[in-house]
Amino acid sequence: MEWWEVLVQQTINGLTRGAVFALIALGYTMVYGIIELINFAHGDVFMLGLFISLSWFALLGVTKTLTGWQLVTMLPLVFLLTMLSTAILNVAIDRVAYRPLRRSTRLAPLITAIGVSFMLENVALLWKGPAPISYPDVFPSVDILREWFGIDSAIFVTTKDLLVVGATIPLMLALNYFVARTRWGKAMRATAQDRETAQAMGIDVERTILLTFFVGGALAGAAGLIQGMYYNIGQWWMGYQAGLRAFTAAVLGGIGNMPGAALGGFFIGFLSAWSDQYISARWTNAIVFSILILVLVFRPHGLLGSRPAEKV
Amino acid sequence: MRRALRWPALVAVLLVYPFVDRGLGLQTVHAVSDGMIYVLLALGLNIVVGYAGLLDLGYAAFFAIGAYAMGLLNSPLLGSPLYGHPWSFWLCIWLAAAMSALLGLAIGAPTLRVRGDYLAIITLGFGEIIPVAIRNLGDITLEIGGWRPIERLNLTGGENGVNPIGRPYLPGVPFETDPVPWYFLILVIGAASLWAMNRLRDSRLGRAWMAIREDETAADCTGVNPISTKLLAFALGASFSGFAGSVYAAKLQAITPGAFEFQVSIMLLCMVVLGGAGSLKGVILGGMLITIFDRVVLSQTTFFVRWIGRAVGVPALVSADLTLWRWFFFGLGLVLVMLLRPEGLAGRRVRPIVVGGDDLGDSHVEPAPAPRVDALPGWLRDRAARGGASATASILEVQGVTRRFGGVVALNEVDLVVPRGAIIGLIGPNGAGKTTFFNIVTGLIRPDAGRLVFEGASLAGLRPNAIVRRGIARTFQSIRLFPEMSVLENVLVGEHCRLGATVAGAVLRPPGVVAEELRARDRARELLAFIGLDGKAHDLARNLPYGDQRRLEIARALATEPRLLLLDEPTAGMNPRETETLTVLIGSLRRELDLTILLIEHDMEVVMGISDQITVLDYGVRIAEGSPAEIQRHPRVIEAYLGTGYEPEPHA
Repeated sequence: MEWWEVLVQQTINGLTRGAVFALIALGYTMVYGIIELINFAHGDVFMLGLFISLSWFALLGVTKTLTGWQLVTMLPLVFLLTMLSTAILNVAIDRVAYRPLRRSTRLAPLITAIGVSFMLENVALLWKGPAPISYPDVFPSVDILREWFGIDSAIFVTTKDLLVVGATIPLMLALNYFVARTRWGKAMRATAQDRETAQAMGIDVERTILLTFFVGGALAGAAGLIQGMYYNIGQWWMGYQAGLRAFTAAVLGGIGNMPGAALGGFFIGFLSAWSDQYISARWTNAIVFSILILVLVFRPHGLLGSRPAEKV
Repeated sequence: MRRALRWPALVAVLLVYPFVDRGLGLQTVHAVSDGMIYVLLALGLNIVVGYAGLLDLGYAAFFAIGAYAMGLLNSPLLGSPLYGHPWSFWLCIWLAAAMSALLGLAIGAPTLRVRGDYLAIITLGFGEIIPVAIRNLGDITLEIGGWRPIERLNLTGGENGVNPIGRPYLPGVPFETDPVPWYFLILVIGAASLWAMNRLRDSRLGRAWMAIREDETAADCTGVNPISTKLLAFALGASFSGFAGSVYAAKLQAITPGAFEFQVSIMLLCMVVLGGAGSLKGVILGGMLITIFDRVVLSQTTFFVRWIGRAVGVPALVSADLTLWRWFFFGLGLVLVMLLRPEGLAGRRVRPIVVGGDDLGDSHVEPAPAPRVDALPGWLRDRAARGGASATASILEVQGVTRRFGGVVALNEVDLVVPRGAIIGLIGPNGAGKTTFFNIVTGLIRPDAGRLVFEGASLAGLRPNAIVRRGIARTFQSIRLFPEMSVLENVLVGEHCRLGATVAGAVLRPPGVVAEELRARDRARELLAFIGLDGKAHDLARNLPYGDQRRLEIARALATEPRLLLLDEPTAGMNPRETETLTVLIGSLRRELDLTILLIEHDMEVVMGISDQITVLDYGVRIAEGSPAEIQRHPRVIEAYLGTGYEPEPHA
């Protein structure tokens, strides 16, 4: 491979990775925006999303690659079911572990979030075992450049890459519409800015928080399904790693800022793909976390966020 | 008598235990020693999390540094010259603690301005980076083009870890074959650490940590430097893990990076949280419970479950292995403790903060006695007599101070000269910029333009705690005490910047430090007696009625030995009688202590009654200055402020 082919290939890899990070990061940023909690368990909801989607496929009798009408009916159905499952899971987590602590110190729900994260990981471990599980190749993989365009190139772009982009972008646009244009979205933005004032204006704050967890969980589920179909592998500990990277993405974009989270997700995607290629995969984690630390120290409100003043 | 017997009994049990264990053939000494190492780690973490309130999710990184410092310095792996020397362990354990402390400083230094959960995430990031670095530094190859300046360099042993590691040496003590000497070694280190921590907690430094935990801004404005205080917490917390790490490495004879992962940080956090963050006894209890749970309960219950399974004939139970669930149980434990008993097993039970009304009611029931001038602490008078000799006639000169918030000009070229010994009233409608003015004088906010000169020296660029040390103290409009500290401790934090005990002093307590601490406590008690809170010295600040909280804030400010006192709406929310008492108090502070007072106040009767001069702000501009009589007649003041007649504003 020529050097530029390597770069293009890794950039494409970064784009698909980044799309998944972005979807997870959105859930982090939404929850942080509304209750100022780093929902540590969010990455594990993503991981369970992958495992749950696997069960939905199994339940619907899908074991091999989908084709034709199956693709346009089954796939959206599984997306819907998986997103619904993880959304309900996320809401349940909030109800049990965070909601009783709304008036507590800020560190208390963070500690329970870590606890929930451990519980979810170990549920997955006991459910699927410690070994990586293989995810059936449900989505057809076609080498686009060669088979559709007849270009013989070392660069490898498949229909799976299209799936990632084709599923992520509409989800983000839908989310943007939901938050910017709907009544519920307005309630979410108001609650994020000032919970008490929002309450005084007649917004049901608890329901709005519930909705936020619901939407965030749904996005994490979608990310899990996409991850499974793209990489055909799942591990019980993947939520921790992906969650930390997605959180880095959210912080990078300015936590609480949704376009920032999406942007940050893609940035971390590119960064990790390039680092794997040009430095060494074993250093990638250290590099991502160094970036996280640098951003938090020098620009704690992210690249797009603004610094709020403390009231004295 | 029973209390007196408790300590000797505990010591006796700890001393006799390993021999009883050997006699009965239990072979639990190994496990108990390991548990004690984790308890020591949890105690170090407690300094950071429990005292200073900084959530550290990567504490295992310090453990790793301690263990690797011992491992690499006292192992043939890298050809360390120390290996094989009989005394190397006793040297390396100090080096390891020092290296961990240095790492604590390195991690702490850039992160000090980051607060709360962001800080937690940074520590988590370091906790992830350190094991990755240890793994990868075992095999470094640097390739630039075709040139390899570094090829397969091994710095850390990589995934295989470090092995062997030198054991401690004492003449005639069989560290090689017997677990009992290890038990006593760890016991001695643990007891010494506990002793040091106990002394640190009850020192000026321990109070500073807790003040930072309770309210960083208020601590800063009370003379506690948040940056050095936090750094100290990180460095000391880390140094204890350095001791623990080096003993761990030497005991195990081999270390691998896998022993220092995120899970270990979380397990240690579990110990601290379960026992009750901030309580030494609680952390020991939490650490012991979790170790026993991990090492004994899970495996024993597994046997039991399997036994039941065989008896009942359920194959699922026969093959069950509860030890696989250990991290699940840790997670569950964190959630349950936070939900059911957030203060931990040994923590103080606190009731939720009561907002507003009820506490106001309480203060009606027990009206506070008026402070008596003759009760004024002698040491404050002495201080006043010495400080009064300064040359300048004006104590504070403010020139052209401007501050914008976005498009709003909160203060526009405000000038103010405060004569020494005067009471200056600062009035103006809500939003006029009065509190912003206070925030600028005390260093919480930087002015965009203008000059501040206090006793002939500029205040430009000083942090709030440095300004307190210069002699300016303040109270807050919305009371900001340290709610989970006692009334006495609140006042002692005020004295912090006038005390000098260092870490060594706080631990070793030479006569100078003991005398200083006794004097500080006497002074705090005198101050409380003067302010009328002497009966409540050991109550938690949060449990005081509203009026008492206001007065405690003034006592805390006085404890910093100020020459200029800034009072932000001191009578807000007080009943007429409390207001009168406070007015008398302010007057006597000026008269007796020669204290200069700058006063924001909405109660016109108070302001007009005690101020020598009044400055009026409106929309960030000084619109009038003069004696109370002049201000009352001033046309612009009447127009801006009193024009519609005197209406008391609602208080927050």
